[in-house]
Amino acid sequence: MSNLEITEEEIQTVYPTVAKTIADALGMDEDEVELKHSLIEDLDAESIDFLDLVFRLERAFKMKIPRGKIVEDARGEMPESEFEQNGMVTEAGMARLKIFLSEVSADRFPSPLKAADIPRLFTTETFCKLVVRSQKDATAG
Amino acid sequence: MAERYNAFSFVDRISSLEPGIRAKGHFRVPGAVEDFPSSLVAEAIGQLAAWVSMDQLDYRFRPVAGIAAELTFLRAVQPGQRLDLEVEIDNCSGTDVAYGGRALVDGKVVVELHHSLGPMLPMEEFDQPADVRERFALLRDLGAPEGRYQGVPEIELVPLEQIPGQMLKATLRVPETAPFFGDHFPRRPVFPATLLLNTQLKAAIRLASESDYWPRNTPLWAGRVRDLKMRSFILPGQEPEIRLALADPVQGFALATMTTHIGGKRVAHALAEIGPLTVSPEKR
Repeated sequence: MSNLEITEEEIQTVYPTVAKTIADALGMDEDEVELKHSLIEDLDAESIDFLDLVFRLERAFKMKIPRGKIVEDARGEMPESEFEQNGMVTEAGMARLKIFLSEVSADRFPSPLKAADIPRLFTTETFCKLVVRSQKDATAG
Repeated sequence: MAERYNAFSFVDRISSLEPGIRAKGHFRVPGAVEDFPSSLVAEAIGQLAAWVSMDQLDYRFRPVAGIAAELTFLRAVQPGQRLDLEVEIDNCSGTDVAYGGRALVDGKVVVELHHSLGPMLPMEEFDQPADVRERFALLRDLGAPEGRYQGVPEIELVPLEQIPGQMLKATLRVPETAPFFGDHFPRRPVFPATLLLNTQLKAAIRLASESDYWPRNTPLWAGRVRDLKMRSFILPGQEPEIRLALADPVQGFALATMTTHIGGKRVAHALAEIGPLTVSPEKR
C-alpha cells in the first residue's frame, strides 16, 4: 500500500492516539508532540524508543506492525539491492523515499543517506501513516 | 571464569519448549542466600525468554533489557523455594523479542511480566556463541546444578538531596568489579537493569515509609512497576544519578517516579506503586 492512498482525514483520525503514544514512549507531555516533529531531531528519540513506540502502537490499535515496515513499504516492489547498496540509499531509492515520506521536506534528506539513518527522517505523521497502512493491511488480509 | 552461569543466572532447567513460541523452566533459589528480591524473579523470567529467543535465532543475537509495560509483584519469594518459570513469545526477530511470562511457587503466581521487549544485539559482542549454545543444550537436558547463585552485593546509594517522604536524589555507586559482571556479560560487562530496579524500589519504599500516608511502621512494598525502560547501558564503575519522586496515594498506593541519569541524560525510567502489603495488585 502506498502513502498516496492515505487521506488527511485518515491521518487526523489516528493522530490523537499516535501523539499520546509517542508522548508516553518518550516521557513527555502530549502537547509537546506535533505532527511535523521529527522523532529523533526534534523529540530526542533513540532506537529503543522506536521499538517502544511500535510496541505501544500495536497495543493501542490492537494490531501487529511488522518490524521495519516503514522502510519496507517505502521500498515497495523495488528489490533491496536497488534500494540500497553497501549500506547507502541509492539514487533510485532516495527518489522512492522522497515520494513515500511526502510529509518530510526535501531539504531534510541528506545526500548521500545511510540506510541506517532513514529513521532520522521519521515524523509523527510518518507514524500516523504507518498506523493507517497497517489498519488497511489488516482489513485487506 | 567462575562467575559464568553462577553469579547471575536464574534458569536451572528448561523443561519444555515450543521453539520461538513458549517455554517452561525452573530455578531453585539457594537456601543459603539472605533474600531473593522480586526484581530478580523478574530477571529469571526474562532470562528464560532470552534463552528461547537466542536458540530461535541460532545464537547470532542476544536480547538485552529494554522495556516492560508492567511487572506485578504478588508475593515475596523465600530462599529455598523453587520458581517455576513460564514465558510466551509474541515476536522474535533480529531486532527484538517481545514476550510475557510469570513465575510461580507451589502453583501460585509470585511475579508476572506483561508486554516486555528486549532489543536484540549481536551475540559476539557479549559472549561466545558456541558456549551459549552448549549451555542451552545442558539446560534442555539434565539441567544445571542447583545452588550456584550466592547473592549479590548491596549497591551503595549516596544521598545528594532529599525531602523525607517526597523526593530523593542520590548517586548510585556501581562497582568497578563484581561477580555478576562476569556473568552479565563475559565480553561486555553491563550493570543489570534488575539490580538497578531493586535498588530503586528499596529506596522508594524507604521514601514512602517516611511519608505520613500510612501509620508508622506499616510494612510497605512495591506491588507493581509500570513503564520500565532502559535507554542505554550502565557500565562498571559509573555513578548514575537516581531521582525518586513520590506522589500522594491513590487507591491505596503511592506512585513513585524513578529515573536514572548519566551526564544529564536520562538512561532509565520506571513507575512503582508503593503501598501496604494488604493492598494487593490483584485487588486493584
